Amino acid sequence: MSRETLQESLSAVMDNQADELELRRVLAASDDPEIRATWSRYQIARAVMHKELLEPRLDIAAAVSAALADEAAPVAPQVQQRGPWRTVGRLAVAASITVAVLAGVRLYNQDDITGAQLAQQSTQPALNIPQVNGPAMLAGFNTSEEQSAPAASAVGQGQPGWHEQRLPAYLRQHAQQAAMSTSEGALPYARAASLENR
Amino acid sequence: MRFIPLSVLLLGSWLALPAAADEGRALLQRLADAERTQSFQGAFVYERNGSFSTHSIWHRVEENGKLRERLLQLDGSAQEVIRIDGQVQCASGALADQVVDSQLWPARTLNAEQLSEWYELRVLGKSRVAGRVTSVLALVPRDQHRYGIELHFDQQTGLPLKSLLVNDKGQLLERFQFTQLETVAPAASNLEPGAGCRPVRLAPSPVDTVEAWRSDWLPPGFSLGSVTQRRSPASNESVACQVYEDGLARFSVFIEPLRDAAVEDVRTQLGPTVAVSRRLKTDDGDVMVTVVGEIPLGTAERVALSMRSAAEVVQ
Repeated sequence: MSRETLQESLSAVMDNQADELELRRVLAASDDPEIRATWSRYQIARAVMHKELLEPRLDIAAAVSAALADEAAPVAPQVQQRGPWRTVGRLAVAASITVAVLAGVRLYNQDDITGAQLAQQSTQPALNIPQVNGPAMLAGFNTSEEQSAPAASAVGQGQPGWHEQRLPAYLRQHAQQAAMSTSEGALPYARAASLENR
Repeated sequence: MRFIPLSVLLLGSWLALPAAADEGRALLQRLADAERTQSFQGAFVYERNGSFSTHSIWHRVEENGKLRERLLQLDGSAQEVIRIDGQVQCASGALADQVVDSQLWPARTLNAEQLSEWYELRVLGKSRVAGRVTSVLALVPRDQHRYGIELHFDQQTGLPLKSLLVNDKGQLLERFQFTQLETVAPAASNLEPGAGCRPVRLAPSPVDTVEAWRSDWLPPGFSLGSVTQRRSPASNESVACQVYEDGLARFSVFIEPLRDAAVEDVRTQLGPTVAVSRRLKTDDGDVMVTVVGEIPLGTAERVALSMRSAAEVVQ
């Protein structure tokens, strides 16, 4: 597929106008550093057009984790050196976190759709989804390799089977605890039973 | 007209709502009563992305008030559960594995009052399910932290005959629907366990270290329901499991030590159920926090990010 088509799709995704095919195309190409760079250029261009303040290389997970880390750290000693710029800086941080959270919601929802569709497409039932490299996983969702944030998750290639070994059991335990501990009728049971169908 | 104070508008809509909300609450209350007092037998289907199954159900209210219930999957493997007063007596194969400690927690009943705090109850009208007339009730979430539910109640008995789970985009996540229902008491022979139904043993598990975990943030309305601890499915590590619920939706948090293993974060969705795994640093080394439940992905992600060990909280 040509680069132009991809860029058109990218643009459509950004404007929230993308159809499912385009969204999937962009997600498939999202490992490409060039595409990432294009994405961030588009974001800047749009931000300028809309006169928004935007942190171009936005990493939601890192931003939230960093904010949490900041919260835990003692802030008392910093009080003496308070100046007007300090407050502005704090406001900017707060604003960027808000943007991160808002952007995050949109990303979640997009992922949500693809995940559901991919699950629909697969002809095999149930437990084929917990594969680390499977299409429905979208494991490398955050862009932590581009930023060295303190609390960025340690992403490595090792142990491909870690989640494969555990997620099915976790899903089951969750479903069955619900089925066995409530009197809500047959629905939790049906959910649990559907996990056992292979 | 622009100058009507917002508070008046709010008050107005608030005053207009109670009638509908009361009707919704009455339906929910009737549902809770119906399952305790109404004998029935029937068949239902369950559908989610990637899975479709058919089941039979026999539900008998005995003279002394005891509830006997048998559920049997009709296609594929013969999944089976027998419950007396909500307590599992026997379960087939894989279903039996997980019963053990969750039995120690009391069964919950539907609380219409509590639910209406987190869901707006809207009576949508009438429909027809399994050849019977039903009333339709929508439970519309009041925030983005839970899914919407559409419930169809049998008008004659109040039993729930159809339940749809819908996300914020209106996409259907799962369907539970009766195809046939008879409101007569099933014969005793139908409540006997099948060959594959294994008696369930109760083995309390130690929960001492589970309290070491708590969440900094929870979606409004969710509270800790149960705490368990068991062996990891893949190693000798002990995995803490906490279940949170809002009276209808539910999610579990699993915390498993990583011991320096390099594992990526993971997010996935299986029909109505989402799973989010996130690595978390603690003083005792990294752990993997996995949130599994029927809640939106963003909410699960935020819960996973908010788990803290008690040691950290104390400091």
